[in-house]
Amino acid sequence: MADDVHRIELRAKSLDELRSFLDGSDMDLGCRPVVRRDGADYVVEVYAPMPQVDRLRSARSASAVTMTVVENASEVGRARQSEVGSGNRFAARMAPRGLGIKE
Amino acid sequence: MAYLNVDEIEAALEALAAPHPGVSELILLPNRTSEGRQSHALRIGPPDAQGANTVVIVGGLHAREWVPPDALVNLAADLLEAHSSGTGLRYGGQRFSADDIREVVEGVQLVLFPCVNPDGRHHSQTAEPMWRKNRRRVNSGSPASCVGVDINRNFDALWDFRRHFAPDSNVSASDNPCDPQVYVGPAAASEAETRNVVALLDRYPRARWFVDVHSYVPAIFYNWGFDVNQTSNPTMSFRNPSFDGQRGRSSDTYREFIPTDDLRTLQDLGGQVKRAIATASGTAYDLQQSFALYPTSGTSDDYAYSRHFVQGANSKILGFTIECGRSFQPPFAEAEDIIREVCAGLVALCVAATAPSA
Repeated sequence: MADDVHRIELRAKSLDELRSFLDGSDMDLGCRPVVRRDGADYVVEVYAPMPQVDRLRSARSASAVTMTVVENASEVGRARQSEVGSGNRFAARMAPRGLGIKE
Repeated sequence: MAYLNVDEIEAALEALAAPHPGVSELILLPNRTSEGRQSHALRIGPPDAQGANTVVIVGGLHAREWVPPDALVNLAADLLEAHSSGTGLRYGGQRFSADDIREVVEGVQLVLFPCVNPDGRHHSQTAEPMWRKNRRRVNSGSPASCVGVDINRNFDALWDFRRHFAPDSNVSASDNPCDPQVYVGPAAASEAETRNVVALLDRYPRARWFVDVHSYVPAIFYNWGFDVNQTSNPTMSFRNPSFDGQRGRSSDTYREFIPTDDLRTLQDLGGQVKRAIATASGTAYDLQQSFALYPTSGTSDDYAYSRHFVQGANSKILGFTIECGRSFQPPFAEAEDIIREVCAGLVALCVAATAPSA
């Protein structure tokens, strides 16, 4: 059984700080390796099992990048599986209705 | 309400197409997945023979990103119902008039392929929620942990990243079949899911716009993901092998060529999508070039745009990726808000595609 994956927020004052923190770390950078701006900060979210997070934290303890564990993403995902449709709601050729308001 | 499972996505497309034969068509994709699933796309708009421009929108390449396939099915349902009843459409504060909807449905071909990677989605929704890739075991003798290819690294767009990118570029790609996220596959377009997207682009010779809906940031990205864009030197491009081994660094002299007009159009259209989303929900999506932290290879949006550079007979397809929402699997009530804003942005793009100047 694979370790649970945690969602980690990395925050820095520059892209270069984030790059130097992440270079060679082999982190799961989410969908694609992009950042978002949050005020003066550059923010990226990565995914990793806690042992990998701990290794990164200790290896780069002098870095200017702050790390925050947001959640156990695997645990959240398992809970969310209960919100997936069961069976087939459209098997009888009943078309879905969209959420847009027709007016 | 709940997220669509993969059987429901297929059934929903079929149920949507059946009552609207004049303006929709169910399209069987030619390649079965490794688990034997057949996929369909849905064309909304005039028949192929009428020569309308085409917008191709895909979703579900990455298994763990649950919202995009639901958003694209929702978009199809909204457009077909609004068109048949002669109404407009509203998402939050973003309104589209009945004329807008009629012009979209009758004036452009909108081709929706909501779930490119159904095997992966099924696995994510029933077993490992953080699963990203498809489910093909590339090497039959490999361990169970070495399954799957990242579909959005498998397209023929600088796919051979070791050759094309600088060794220190940290390009987001791996040739290790056991990489859990970004294994590029044994060859470009080796995967059935990838070839199904390629088949759609081949099928529509007037395809002009391509959107790949993912999650999450939230942001709208436009070409290129290879390197920082530049508009002055056409020879400095992905097609020039003399730059192999140099691409992808953020701070060197290599930059990826993009024609000024294309860049302007991408930014203009992206701006319209961004504004529609903001009007719908108040959410500020960033609009930026795909290259940001690190480069990417083999992605769908860059493949779509690269096609006309590689072969002049291909139509020029401007490529976007929308990264919607703020998590992979939000509670479904939250997903519904994201679905609305994504649909607002996509309808705005389609409306722009109907303009005579488009």
